[in-house]
Amino acid sequence: MSNTLRISIDGKEKEAQAGDSILQAHLKGDETVTANIGCMGQGVCGACRCLVRKEGERETATRLACETLAEEGMQVSFMDYYQPARVSRYGLEDIRDGWEWMKHLRDVFPEASNCRHCSGCDRACPKGITVQEGIALASRGELQAAAEVFDACIMCNLCTLACPENIRPNHVGLFLRRAHAAQTLRPGDLLRRLDQQRRGELAIDLSAVPTAQGERA
Amino acid sequence: MDKLNQVLLKPAIQVGADLFAWMQQGGTQGLATALDAPQTLIQRIADADLRGMGGAGFPTARKWEAAAQAAGSEKYVVCNGNEDEPGTFKDRTLLSRTPHQVIEGALIAALAIRACHVIFYLNPHQQGSLREMRRAVAQWQDSPWLEKVAKAVGQPVDLQVVPSSGRYIGGEETAVVASLEGGFPFPRKKPPFPAESGVRGCPTLINNTETLAKVSHIIRHGADWYRALGVGAASGTKLYSLSGDVMAPGLYELPMGTSLHDLIYRYGGGMLEGKAFKAVFTGGPSNTLLTRKDLDVALDFDSVRERQSRLGTGAMIVISEGSSIIRKVAEYIGFFAKGSCGQCPSCKCGTFQLARLLERVDSGRHSPADLAALRHLCQILPGSGRCGLIDGAVTVVQSSLHTFPQEYGIAATAD
Amino acid sequence: MTQATTAIPHAEALARLASGATPTLRKSGLSRELLLERYHPDHAPAAAATLQIGANAGERCHPTLAELLQANALIDGFDLAGAEQLSTDVLVIGGGGAGAAAALTAASHGADVIMACKLRLGDSNTVMAEGGIQAALGRDDSPQRHFEDTLRGGHYRADPLLVAQLASDAPDAIRWLIELGMHFDVTDAATDGGTLRYKQAGGCTQPRILSYRDYTGLEMMRVLRETVELDPAIRLLNRCPAVELLSHDDGSCAGAVLFDLEYQRFVVVSARSVILATGGCGRLHLQGFPTSNHYGATADGLVLAYRLGAKLRDLDSFQYHPTGIAFPSRLAGGLISEAARSCGAWLINGLGERFIDELAPRDVVTAAILRECADGRGIERDGRIGVFLDTPRLARQWPEGIEHHLPALAHLAAKCGIDPATEPMLVYPTLHYQNGGVVIDGEGRSTVPGLLCAGEVSGGIHGRNRLMGNALLDIIAFGRRAGQRAAEDIGKRPLRRGDIEHVYSWQRTLVQSGLPRQARAPRLYPGPGHYPLHRNERSLA
Ligand SMILES: Cc1cc2nc3c(=O)[nH]c(=O)nc-3n(C[C@H](O)[C@H](O)[C@H](O)COP(=O)(O)OP(=O)(O)OC[C@H]3O[C@@H](n4cnc5c(N)ncnc54)[C@H](O)[C@@H]3O)c2cc1C
Ligand SMILES: Cc1cc2nc3c(=O)[nH]c(=O)nc-3n(C[C@H](O)[C@H](O)[C@H](O)COP(=O)(O)O)c2cc1C
Ligand code: SF4
Ligand code: SF4
Ligand code: FES
Repeated sequence: MSNTLRISIDGKEKEAQAGDSILQAHLKGDETVTANIGCMGQGVCGACRCLVRKEGERETATRLACETLAEEGMQVSFMDYYQPARVSRYGLEDIRDGWEWMKHLRDVFPEASNCRHCSGCDRACPKGITVQEGIALASRGELQAAAEVFDACIMCNLCTLACPENIRPNHVGLFLRRAHAAQTLRPGDLLRRLDQQRRGELAIDLSAVPTAQGERA
Repeated sequence: MDKLNQVLLKPAIQVGADLFAWMQQGGTQGLATALDAPQTLIQRIADADLRGMGGAGFPTARKWEAAAQAAGSEKYVVCNGNEDEPGTFKDRTLLSRTPHQVIEGALIAALAIRACHVIFYLNPHQQGSLREMRRAVAQWQDSPWLEKVAKAVGQPVDLQVVPSSGRYIGGEETAVVASLEGGFPFPRKKPPFPAESGVRGCPTLINNTETLAKVSHIIRHGADWYRALGVGAASGTKLYSLSGDVMAPGLYELPMGTSLHDLIYRYGGGMLEGKAFKAVFTGGPSNTLLTRKDLDVALDFDSVRERQSRLGTGAMIVISEGSSIIRKVAEYIGFFAKGSCGQCPSCKCGTFQLARLLERVDSGRHSPADLAALRHLCQILPGSGRCGLIDGAVTVVQSSLHTFPQEYGIAATAD
Repeated sequence: MTQATTAIPHAEALARLASGATPTLRKSGLSRELLLERYHPDHAPAAAATLQIGANAGERCHPTLAELLQANALIDGFDLAGAEQLSTDVLVIGGGGAGAAAALTAASHGADVIMACKLRLGDSNTVMAEGGIQAALGRDDSPQRHFEDTLRGGHYRADPLLVAQLASDAPDAIRWLIELGMHFDVTDAATDGGTLRYKQAGGCTQPRILSYRDYTGLEMMRVLRETVELDPAIRLLNRCPAVELLSHDDGSCAGAVLFDLEYQRFVVVSARSVILATGGCGRLHLQGFPTSNHYGATADGLVLAYRLGAKLRDLDSFQYHPTGIAFPSRLAGGLISEAARSCGAWLINGLGERFIDELAPRDVVTAAILRECADGRGIERDGRIGVFLDTPRLARQWPEGIEHHLPALAHLAAKCGIDPATEPMLVYPTLHYQNGGVVIDGEGRSTVPGLLCAGEVSGGIHGRNRLMGNALLDIIAFGRRAGQRAAEDIGKRPLRRGDIEHVYSWQRTLVQSGLPRQARAPRLYPGPGHYPLHRNERSLA
């Protein structure tokens, strides 16, 4: 059995080795790749969004090319980074009042309450995040639970692209996560250290520069 | 011009919601005939070779037969009046100007499959259709006809006007079912087809408004009469929604099989001043483009199919030389992308990427790789959705690539 | 990659490991100095070259880097003719953590900012960081200790002033990140007082690594990216790599030339100040080593700054992380974080021996692994060579440890098709970090007026070896400093269109010194050839 397999990417036939990711197969050839690539295998940057259709299957699924193994006869189309034309800008300083978070959420993401429960976002998410549930929790006011749903989100924006109601689910999740950290994370050790520094304590003594000799002695 | 507007758009029958006026024009005679021999109806529709006017041209009798054969005493007839795609404007005309002709057809269908619910599923953005149909239905409810139909069916028959969501996708037949069940119009997987299992699991016959409008005339005048209306092997008449760069855009009822040339030049007044014919997007606009060499094509389901395109809803969007095909295609892809319901990421994401690539090509900043990517997308998307939306979108793109390669800056491919 | 001619087959090594005998720590027989000298890649003969032209002429530099630094420019004067013209107070080049911190800070100090990213904002080394970020917050810890640890870790070759700033900026950098909405792991409020959670890092006298699970960089970068995208004062240009800097007559920096990939055209950005934040150079695969770095790490910033006359430093010093993935090749070079070793996982050679204290400094552990492989005690699997990271032993000693405390390791192992609880992973050093870079002062200023630098592209903060967690700190601390400086300089620096006079004089120098003029840089993208910036270079087929 040969270990070489053929896969077609954006209309180009590529030969790959069994065990190669789609992204690796994509990199074979003379053309310089300038998009849809970043972390190259760690699966954290979300750049390598693509549509994948396996040989003999009807379904065409959204995947990360660096985390998906190439298979014989696979067909792959990469997808541009999608940014909606209109997004409502917000500053975290505008959402200081935690009692008003529901209102802030509505102001910034008025579409979030329009979820039609199509599950498109869930199907689109290459990380298996239960996006739709996150939006449902957010609309119900269970903001922290909603934020947690998006904990491992890599912001590939596929759910935003997939959502027919322009909800931008991952940005809703990040909004909640950010609001939560910015408002509630006040670690005692950090407060103390900042206070010490403010009072001029703990300045670094440059004259006490250690030297290699000093250390080794 | 003698062949124009002979049946559905015949001036004399444009009587609005007035049932009495409709009867004076021969209305209800078809229904009366049908009541005499309900068990022969499907055969007569088959003999007339009536096809589905919602876009697919599927033989209507076969659908009726399936619904008639399906088990269950509670059955539905749904008149699909969702009409929402660019370039099609025929159903709204029938619904607002001659509502009774639609209702009578729907009642005959109910007789044929023994349905007890008849639903008119209408686009709420077309207020005229809703208003006239509500008025017309009320008159039937007060008339003895409903009682007669009920007797023949063996149970009470109700008529309802139900506004659809007004979304394009809501016209797809399984989406119609989902919508009538009270949900968002999400298309469902087929099979089962609605004729077997539709609204709440009951057998449901879904026909386009124009399809149903023709029924009473066929029953009243006979299948032979209907067949003879068409050109050559084609049967009956067709509503053509003519738009774009022509002198007289509008809705034309003509013999099925009238040539594209006649539609544009004889009836449509020809091309807009000083413009030369370039191409036609046919009704959807989710089909393969027709070009100058297709001007002679007979506009019936089979002849258009022979040119690798589809008659669709009978909408003909005419484009003149000098207009960018790619820009138009991009516009339609944008429409499909917006209409995509969200259930299938390949449809939503695929139309986005198609649009991105088209935009690059249209502005001339594309690379050969972008064209290869565009073609490739056209390969991997079809069939990946639950309904035909993505397939239609791809068809237009593919067809423009095939027919106007020079606009994409590529050499023509051999046929 | 320096691969041994001989190695022990994987199956054999596996059987030996599975026999259950407790591995012994073999005596090294070499002092650390000798180990480094003989086996660390920086000391290999193939790693030495001398720069002939530019501000560092006569100094040592890695030959691969030297080739790029002494190359000709990608563009010529006529490229600027039809280009789109933009102008701004501050141009930030590079969309990682350092660039984002600089852009946000400059914007918050009133500057108009353009941010140019080669890939997309966030597709960077920053998003990949797992381990965490240093800040001395503990009761027994202090900025002073952080300062001393960092200097020692860098073999006393760092600039003490920069290190002092790094250590004392740390608490406020963390506060700034929290204010932008970044999360950090905290201890249980009831039992441990709800402080931030500290992890130990090699070479540190105190546990001082703050983290968010084991995707600290992802958490940091997604927050930074969102903030940048929402900031009306920042104009973000994705897929617009900088291909050259612009200069004024006096040699100061006047902006940069970008290439817009989407529109396939050059863009000339005039700016009062330019902040370079282009990151590192792992994708140059020095000496054939695999790398942990992202696709865009091609030393572009060093090349651009050097051509404009900026002084660089420590160009022969790189960090090779000891535990890169060796198998499967698909993930080769991918990082297995130090956390596994911190938790007690051992390194085992093909003979079933331990051969080094796993928590020794990174460069030492790396040299030790390379020694094993060079001496035939490495392990071979499908043509890939490395040593074992003995996770099964860790799993036996600490049954839930891997899943609960090392989720990224578990995830990574799964991607390798390995169950870390039963099978060891094959590891080999991977090119991880560029220790040197552009010489900067305490406010990120390079030796060229108007050109500032922040992040991995700069040098002097980490000396010749970087401690875990200090890079994420450096990009925030110095990114903010550079951003503020650039904003405060608005009134002092002109906004005039610059030129590429420095390129012409560079070309004259090339000719005079007999260097080839065909070689072009920056690389922009790894891969077989140069991306064709000019229409006539592009194939039309
Ligand atoms: C896998 C991995 C794990 C790590 N873990 C840790 C850790 O736990 N703790 C820690 O402190 N450090 C860690 N580091 C190191 C740390 O992440 C990096 O040193 C740091 O993030 C560098 O930030 P930066 O902003 O300087 O560069 P980057 O984050 O790399 O950003 C540079 C950006 O500039 C872009 N660019 C390059 N050239 C051009 C050009 N010509 N024009 C425009 N843009 C350009 C790049 O594409 C990139 O987006 C890790 C690194 C890696 C690779
Ligand atoms: C995306 C999509 C939208 C559709 N919209 C309509 C519509 O608005 N009206 C309609 O009659 N048929 C529409 N159809 C076709 C229907 O699915 C169905 O085939 C038709 O209503 C059946 O009627 P017929 O057999 O009389 O043509 C649509 C199909 C698809 C795939
Ligand atoms: S939640 Fe959305 S943005 Fe996040 S990983 Fe999933 S699809 Fe991508
Ligand atoms: S894609 Fe949008 S509308 Fe559909 S379930 Fe997800 S959030 Fe709701
Ligand atoms: S390249 Fe970063 S997620 Fe695939």
